[in-house]
Amino acid sequence: MDTRAWIERFAAVIDERGTELTELDRRAGDGDYGTNLRSALAKVRANLAADDPRTPGEVFTAVSNAFLHTGGTSGPLFGMWFREFAKGLGDEVSARSLARAAGDAEATVRRLGGAEVGHKTMVDAMVPAAEALAAAAERNADVETALKDAAAAADAGARSTEALLAKRGRASYVGEHARGVTDPGALTVAWFFEAATK
Amino acid sequence: MAARQLVNDPDDFVREALEGLQRAHPGLVRYHEDPAYVVRARQPDKVALVSGGGSGHEPLHTGFVGSGMLDAAVPGAVFASPTAFQIRAAIAAADRGRGVLLIVKNYTGDVLNFRIAAELAADDGIQTRTVLVDDDLATDGQEDGAPGRRGTAAVVAVEKICGAAAENGASLDELTALGERIVSSARTLALALEACTQPGQDRPSFDLPDGEIEFGVGIHGEHGVGRRPYAPVRELVGDLTKPLVAALGLDRGDEVIAIVNGLGATHGLELSVVHRELGGFLDGLGVRIGRALVGSYVTALDMRGCSITLLRADDELLALWDAPVRTPALTW
Repeated sequence: MDTRAWIERFAAVIDERGTELTELDRRAGDGDYGTNLRSALAKVRANLAADDPRTPGEVFTAVSNAFLHTGGTSGPLFGMWFREFAKGLGDEVSARSLARAAGDAEATVRRLGGAEVGHKTMVDAMVPAAEALAAAAERNADVETALKDAAAAADAGARSTEALLAKRGRASYVGEHARGVTDPGALTVAWFFEAATK
Repeated sequence: MAARQLVNDPDDFVREALEGLQRAHPGLVRYHEDPAYVVRARQPDKVALVSGGGSGHEPLHTGFVGSGMLDAAVPGAVFASPTAFQIRAAIAAADRGRGVLLIVKNYTGDVLNFRIAAELAADDGIQTRTVLVDDDLATDGQEDGAPGRRGTAAVVAVEKICGAAAENGASLDELTALGERIVSSARTLALALEACTQPGQDRPSFDLPDGEIEFGVGIHGEHGVGRRPYAPVRELVGDLTKPLVAALGLDRGDEVIAIVNGLGATHGLELSVVHRELGGFLDGLGVRIGRALVGSYVTALDMRGCSITLLRADDELLALWDAPVRTPALTW
């Protein structure tokens, strides 16, 4: 598993489709989400070029640092999410190490942000993805299959936010306006796992 | 056209101001540019105190770095939280191996980034504890899940009093308990006569019709909780003070520390009048102002208005309040 290529595909997807995220945030937030995310990923690319990471742990450390240097609320939360991948993956990616890392990562985000599944946030995609990875690891699936399962689960989780009213995050300030709008944070998580399967 | 302000480029505003602060007080503070934080020029062996938040509230927090108060302050962009990395770097710079007390105003971004910084610091082997300051009565009693009372001018009392205790050798646990006691004994209310203007912007953050004031404002230029007719200071001060007295359960014979705070564009003469009226109001209730701080300490850029903070006092808090302090913005 080439994690650096995974991150570079993720960055390319955000480049291509970042305006869709901004549009979602404009409808249910304050409209700067895609811009912030693109600025974070510009830092990710700069960190990858400067640090030239060799291991999955080093790759995800470069990603985590870039997000933690980005302001707002989603920046630091993604930073801490990726940081658990850095800690958990270390030198090698397996379905088991991914499952453990994703589980620690979603728990960290829930603890720091105070959001649970159903609150219409990034957590709605992070938790099902972690559960899918855990299930794949349990049945000794290979990394590719585990990540496909995670991508499908994250996508379904992101879609489920469309019908929800927000309880946390930016969209919680706009009430009914957010109904019918997919949460851009959850969608970002779905695209992240999708980028692993290409 | 942008409003007339003494600003070169809004993007450089905070950095240039911090360079100016260091030039004015080279013996007291040192400004670290990247990541941005301000630390004491010389640090004694004691528990360190670190605070921070968005810029635009000066002299809070950078003006309170020095002996008897903060060891480091972390400024974000105007009205925006600093990043977790900035805070982590300030914690590492301030730590003397005895732990670090984080003094955090209750705003979502500040709480989140300080919480993350505390976890990063723990990985660096630095022990931290957090005192969350939430004194703004205007945002009290919101429904479940809401952010709750905002942190405003009571943070000055927490920084001053905990700063004095830290100089006396108090432990991290003792400072945390002291900070929490101050927070639970202090409440604040504010009003605005005019909104503030962001650097480089051409209009204020909200418009006030003639003859009205904004009641229950915070410190980020946002709307308050309601409009009221403009009235003589005596009445306005009564409106601010009555709810504070009730919330703290103050009674005849009680003693308080009072902070009469300007929000950025309020003249010292006006604040002194406010303090006079506050004294008169409390005299009528038999509540004594043991100590007072009157001036602009926790501002919202150039907002015109004031806040009143009352802190229920006792001998311990008064003695720590009286202890020497030497910072750019507060010295005795």
